[in-house]
Amino acid sequence: MDKLLQFGRSMLQPLLAILVGLAAGAIAIVIVGGSVMDTYAEMWKGAFGSFYFFTNTLSRATPIILIGLGVALAFRAGFFNMGSEGQMVLGALSAALTAIYLPGPGWFKLVAAIMAGIISGGIWSAFAGWLDAKYKMNLLITTLLLNYIATLFAGYIVSYPLKDRSGSAAMAQTVMIDKSVWLPKLFHGMSVHGGFIIAAVSAVLLFFFMKFTVKGYEIRMLGGNPLFASYGGVQRGKMMLLSMFVSGGFAGLAGSVEVLGTQYRYIDSALTSPGYAWSGIMATLLAGSHPLGTAVAAILLAALQTGGMGMERNTDVPLEVSSIIQAVLILFVSAKLSYSFLKRKKARS
Amino acid sequence: MLLQMNSITKSYGNVTANSNVNFTLQKGEIHALVGENGAGKTTLMRILYGMESPTSGEIVLNGKPVTFENPTDAIRHQIGMVHQHFMLFPTFTISENIVIGREPSKGIGFDRKTAAMETEQLGKQFGMPIDPWKKVADCSLGMQQRVEILKVLHQGAEIIILDEPTGVLTPLEVKELLIAIKTLASQGKSFILISHKLQEIMDVADRITVLRDGKVTGTVFSKDTNAEQLSRLMVGRDLIHISRNATEVGQAVLDLEGISVRGSKTKPLLSDVNLHVNEGEIVGIAGISGNGQSELIQAISGLLKPDEGMIKLLGQDVTGAPVGAIRQIGLAHIPEDRYQWGVAKDATVTENGLMGHTGKHQKYGVLGGQGIRQMVSEWVERFGIKTGSLSTKAQYLSGGNLQKLIVARELAQKTPFLIAAEPTRGVDVGAMEIIHGELLKKRDEGGAILLISSELTEILKLSDRILVMFEGMIVGELNAAEATEEHISLLMAGGRAVG
Repeated sequence: MDKLLQFGRSMLQPLLAILVGLAAGAIAIVIVGGSVMDTYAEMWKGAFGSFYFFTNTLSRATPIILIGLGVALAFRAGFFNMGSEGQMVLGALSAALTAIYLPGPGWFKLVAAIMAGIISGGIWSAFAGWLDAKYKMNLLITTLLLNYIATLFAGYIVSYPLKDRSGSAAMAQTVMIDKSVWLPKLFHGMSVHGGFIIAAVSAVLLFFFMKFTVKGYEIRMLGGNPLFASYGGVQRGKMMLLSMFVSGGFAGLAGSVEVLGTQYRYIDSALTSPGYAWSGIMATLLAGSHPLGTAVAAILLAALQTGGMGMERNTDVPLEVSSIIQAVLILFVSAKLSYSFLKRKKARS
Repeated sequence: MLLQMNSITKSYGNVTANSNVNFTLQKGEIHALVGENGAGKTTLMRILYGMESPTSGEIVLNGKPVTFENPTDAIRHQIGMVHQHFMLFPTFTISENIVIGREPSKGIGFDRKTAAMETEQLGKQFGMPIDPWKKVADCSLGMQQRVEILKVLHQGAEIIILDEPTGVLTPLEVKELLIAIKTLASQGKSFILISHKLQEIMDVADRITVLRDGKVTGTVFSKDTNAEQLSRLMVGRDLIHISRNATEVGQAVLDLEGISVRGSKTKPLLSDVNLHVNEGEIVGIAGISGNGQSELIQAISGLLKPDEGMIKLLGQDVTGAPVGAIRQIGLAHIPEDRYQWGVAKDATVTENGLMGHTGKHQKYGVLGGQGIRQMVSEWVERFGIKTGSLSTKAQYLSGGNLQKLIVARELAQKTPFLIAAEPTRGVDVGAMEIIHGELLKKRDEGGAILLISSELTEILKLSDRILVMFEGMIVGELNAAEATEEHISLLMAGGRAVG
């Protein structure tokens, strides 16, 4: 009962933020001259309106969930991993190249490609951790800047040495991955693929890992008070490398399943322009770094985005309205301060 | 009567922090408020200072009932509070810290010169001279305390609440502070003094009110009472006098040879420290805080790598070894600053209790649930830790209760060697009795304990041998039997031992 109450209380703020976000969106809709009810109805339809749209939302949520989980883990350990985008891109590139060039049976190539994605994302992230442990370089800055190196490097690889020259279009992309290596679709004709199952299982696993294992405990204590952790015998440097590796590994996994389940090749900027990485960070913030909450928040954010597209298709209201809702949502979630102020005022009266 | 607090009751849910408390204060009086941790002293003062509103009861000031919405209201009614943890801006000067919120201005600019003059004048007037241009970061804790009191006086306070004002001061600074309080009281200021230190209270207070479990158990004139009666009122029973039995001293458990830590300043933080602690022995380290004790603790526990020398624990060389490895060999550690090292404030009581105990409560890296809670709830019972539940966050425990949790956790490691740094800082007499008893019990069972404390009485009470630290060096070693407070004080202040 106590726990239920606690859970309810922790959900109150995100729910409030969603309401305020929708209200702000309504104002924006009125300003551009649309009907609030119709627009929101279209948005709902675009996100959950039919089985097709619903699975489409889940498919979009897949990389966001995985990235959110990685960021959540790092946050819990007290590190700001802002480098999910680069880690995801390197993961995606490695997965694609492994799937294309590694010899062997399909299932073997699939597993190897996913592993390659996790490892390369993890190493890229742990590299930033190493720079912090060794040279005291600020993680926030290194992770952010390493994004550029990763995305531009991947862009170069698919623009020059490994560019797909078979087709007529001059797109910067690799050749197609063989069908035997594709992640299976969950339903025929729908876009949601096996990666969603991986993401959902990962969320549950991460939840149990954080709550019930020694390492998870040590990570949480490290995030809670680094001096307390080191006093108790937790090795900060080692723990940082580990949590940054796993955090980046999640981002790499996000890139891999996106390549193996949706795009079937690495296409330059196909992962960066939808802003998966930033949505993932937002989902983490929204859920206060709770693994299961992050997954739910990721689906919500994906719904806002797919719903926004539906809205743009069927009304005159532009896609940007859903960005406004997202922005207001985040603003209100991060505004913990004002909320506790309200609470205090209420307690006094 | 200057101030009356009439039948104040404050409850949080089903917890009653204050129940029907009556408290009065005369003009020019020093009224001490004592009680165990969680007895409701701080809550009562927070109510008076407008930080909490009472569930029922009234505050009467100068014959008129008043209500305070927030501290600003209280300050307007000439009530000031000096908190246990100083609230100063270290990078600002003394005068800037004192005038903050009421700065003298010249046009739209801040008039630093007038501020400095004003504050210097204020210090002289109340017999607490200061250098207005000095940065707070360069001041001793005693001087910072003085700045806090002057800040409150500058706000025009007539009633001054001091929360544990002597906790962090050196014996000399304590003496100065108590004189200053008496001087101010003779000039008509009134003081409410929250403290654990019965001797100081007996020295300085006119009246003493004792709280236990949120209720007043007695208000007495200090000239009519004594420390025994006060502790009886606080604890509700007589204290047991702890006696130390002689024990056989065994082999060396900890051995330090020529430990030096250079640090970034010109003076080394530790220089050529040699010491050993044997089985069945408590070795006390006396010294004014900041003379290398922190570095010594960190070097032994593996948090700081010494530049020179060797540390042996149970015969193994542990110099520069990782903390976890040293703990594994046989070290437990009650840290000197519980908030900095001892807990994660956002984590629960159980989680904080688990630190260092994960090894025996896991299977293949997965934590076993029930055993952990059982272990922690046993401690809660044995040490009388007041907590809402085992899932309460550590930040909601009072300082003393948190300390009891840490002590319980470290004693439960059952290691051959224990560092006990300021084990009873901010802890009430009842808890102090328990903690001291547990430390002596561990010694009697053959444990080796290194006790670091800035409380001389604690050192004298528990130690078999006493080492005195001054400026990173061990400047004297005394046998417990022959040590006197005067002798140690002299060594602590840098005077060399004679003979």
